[in-house]
Amino acid sequence: MRENLRVFFIGGYLSYRALFNWMHWSYYIPTMLGAPVFQILFFAYIGRYAQVESDEFFVVGNAVQLSAMAGIYGMAMTVGGERWTQTLSPLLATPANRLPLFLGRALPLIANGIITSAFAFFVGWLLLDFELTWSEIPALAVVIAVSAFSCTALGLVVGALGLRMRDVFFLANFVVYALLLFCGVNIPLDTLPGWMQDVANRLPLTHGIEAARAIANGSSLSDVSGLVWTELGIGAAYAAAAFLLFKLFELEGRRRASFETI
Amino acid sequence: MAVVEAHDLHRTYRTSTGTLRRKWHNVEAVRGVSFEIQEGELFGLLGPNGAGKTTTIKMLITLLIPTKGTARVLGYDVVKDAREVRRRIGYVFGGERGVYERLSGYDNLRYFAELYGVPPKEIHPRIDYLLDLVGLKGREQERTEGYSRGMKQRLHIARGLLHDPPVVFLDEPTIGLDPVGARELRATIASLTSAGKTILLTTHYMFEADALCDRIAVINRGEIVAHGTPAELKRDVVEGAVVEVEVFGLPDGTVERVRDLNGVTSVSIEEREQAQLLIVQTQPEVELTQSILGTLDGASVGRISRREPTLEDAYVTLVAEE
Amino acid sequence: MKTLRLIWVGWKFHVKSLTLSGFFILTSVLQPIIFASVAYFMFQAGAREGTLLYVALGAGMMGIWSSTLFGSGGAIQWQRWQGTLEYCIAVPPPFLLVIVPLTLATATIGLYSLTATLVWGRLFFDVPLHVAHPVAFIVALPVTVVGLGLLGLILASTFIMYRNANALSNLLEYPVWLATGLLVSLSLLPVWVGPISWVLAPTWGINALRDAAIAGNAWPEIGMCLLLSAVYLVIGYFALQHFERLARERATLTLT
Repeated sequence: MRENLRVFFIGGYLSYRALFNWMHWSYYIPTMLGAPVFQILFFAYIGRYAQVESDEFFVVGNAVQLSAMAGIYGMAMTVGGERWTQTLSPLLATPANRLPLFLGRALPLIANGIITSAFAFFVGWLLLDFELTWSEIPALAVVIAVSAFSCTALGLVVGALGLRMRDVFFLANFVVYALLLFCGVNIPLDTLPGWMQDVANRLPLTHGIEAARAIANGSSLSDVSGLVWTELGIGAAYAAAAFLLFKLFELEGRRRASFETI
Repeated sequence: MAVVEAHDLHRTYRTSTGTLRRKWHNVEAVRGVSFEIQEGELFGLLGPNGAGKTTTIKMLITLLIPTKGTARVLGYDVVKDAREVRRRIGYVFGGERGVYERLSGYDNLRYFAELYGVPPKEIHPRIDYLLDLVGLKGREQERTEGYSRGMKQRLHIARGLLHDPPVVFLDEPTIGLDPVGARELRATIASLTSAGKTILLTTHYMFEADALCDRIAVINRGEIVAHGTPAELKRDVVEGAVVEVEVFGLPDGTVERVRDLNGVTSVSIEEREQAQLLIVQTQPEVELTQSILGTLDGASVGRISRREPTLEDAYVTLVAEE
Repeated sequence: MKTLRLIWVGWKFHVKSLTLSGFFILTSVLQPIIFASVAYFMFQAGAREGTLLYVALGAGMMGIWSSTLFGSGGAIQWQRWQGTLEYCIAVPPPFLLVIVPLTLATATIGLYSLTATLVWGRLFFDVPLHVAHPVAFIVALPVTVVGLGLLGLILASTFIMYRNANALSNLLEYPVWLATGLLVSLSLLPVWVGPISWVLAPTWGINALRDAAIAGNAWPEIGMCLLLSAVYLVIGYFALQHFERLARERATLTLT
């Protein structure tokens, strides 16, 4: 158990450092903090122009989505990036337990997501018609953490698929855009066609966003607990799926010696 | 007038370490390099990796601005008259990268032919001729992402010659080529000289410089440490002898002890698998084998030989770490 | 004459190269379609009337800007990775003549986005594809592409300096969508955004396209777009010279 914890924390920290070593603050700030500001403004203003919903709708939706984005890209890059730097083979050859290994990577991404969301809420409060009371913040933090977790799990699936595909970044991009379309980030869920709502309910983020909006409207954490648990469950399901995929591809990759050559 | 002139070229890079608190330091890659190349010469810049060869060439082909010093190609200053220089030179860097991967070799050459101002009527025949010269005929319609390293190298060479420049710079052109390909390339380079072109060739292969070049400058750690024709360089060394002793477990301090012996010009060590090869250059007419053995402190000794020095020995001496 | 041929050959070359790059095409088609869908749904859910063609054009333009931004800004970075940046600098023509065909090509690829969003809108959102003034539309289209391409040129010229230039690309996508009024009427934005939007060629381009498609006189806007493009060209020329020289001084043409 202790060994697993070590792998979890140290491995996660080191690999986070390794992947983002090249990421200078001059890259981080525009990408993780700058772009989100404008994303929120963009959709909020469309909302105003199209006369749909309110500023709050868009601030909350995008803030939660932004926390997720880091999870998906980060996780996809964990695998994709390692393919890139040719460290995947040696890594998979270690006896370290897969679960704490990858969970260790998820933790900094979730933390990153929380920071990005917090910043997004702040921007919404500063520049748009959006208010948040102090009492709502802890509940929101929980919802965001859960959403970020479930999106990281989705990112794991993307990363796992990346073991088979040539271009994992493309898939990661596509998934992020799909979330933007389906999960009610900027479109009221009930205005979407039925089949899209069905898909949305099976994706991460949807329930998290719904819960976050409810909290911003005054609900308490216990009021939305059903949504939060659903979100958590969806995340766990994706994580499980990812591990199955890893096992599958790992075995196949060993058989076909295909890790580096796809 | 010399075709290529370099006067006291310097180039310093600023690099940084660390992410949160950056520390900047300067790396002096080239520290005062000067030489001249005459028309029709094949000039070699010889040195180990990291010596500053590529940096020097990049300054001459206008890709880097020297931090100090000047250079001229065909009379044009490489900084002030960069465009004029670029019209008249070709260069080959080689390596895996540097081609547009999604497009064919032919398309790549077509594009650069246009950039280099090859008259439209001549483009196709010229490309045809060059493909033949470098041995890529028949493969030119394939995407370059599928090219082997050697094929990419050949494509680089073809590109460098597209506009038939009078001066050609080749940076380690045979790296990555198989022995046959490398030999063919050397033949091609030699033929370029007979066609009247002036060539600067960098390499870290001693034998290549020896075989091809009219004159060689040896560069190490940013400075020219020797220059002359291969014959001249050999002459400086050919007087004397080289004693090679195979030692199993070289004792500490041996190198210093040997160096202290009278008549020794230089000492170096080559690592073999189980042993070290002690290579001692001595002055002529001096018999030092016994004394050398005496410094070995009773260590086990394998083969001992005494031979004439080669240009390789001179090179090793010049670039050896002190 | 030689210059024109160089631009033509270069443009063809880069369009071909980009078209064969799966990643680029798919993000030029897939991303715009998704963003267009988000826009269509938002406007459908909203109270404002009669906006579908307006949305379609705006969403398509978003795609053209993304292509230009990531293409042009990314072009420098991509050439750096590919190792071809140095080769493109050490050629006789001024660097401007190497980059202009490239940024024009990326803006042209953006036309795929416009087509895709319009077709998508027609198929799934009942967007009426009726153009009121076809001639003006057909003229406004390449003019807008040129305007975008040359704006991309200015981007590219700053990106050449920085090894991590693509971070800036991420930052400039949404703001330009906002400031050029692609989907949001500029009257809704703070007053100070106005002047910024006027100096951006795409603002005039989208207005021209809208006027040509829906109702109005597109020609003055076409003229403005052309004028701004000429200004961009001049700025780009000097910026490129400056940054290229800086890149040679600081040795940032390669990855290491």
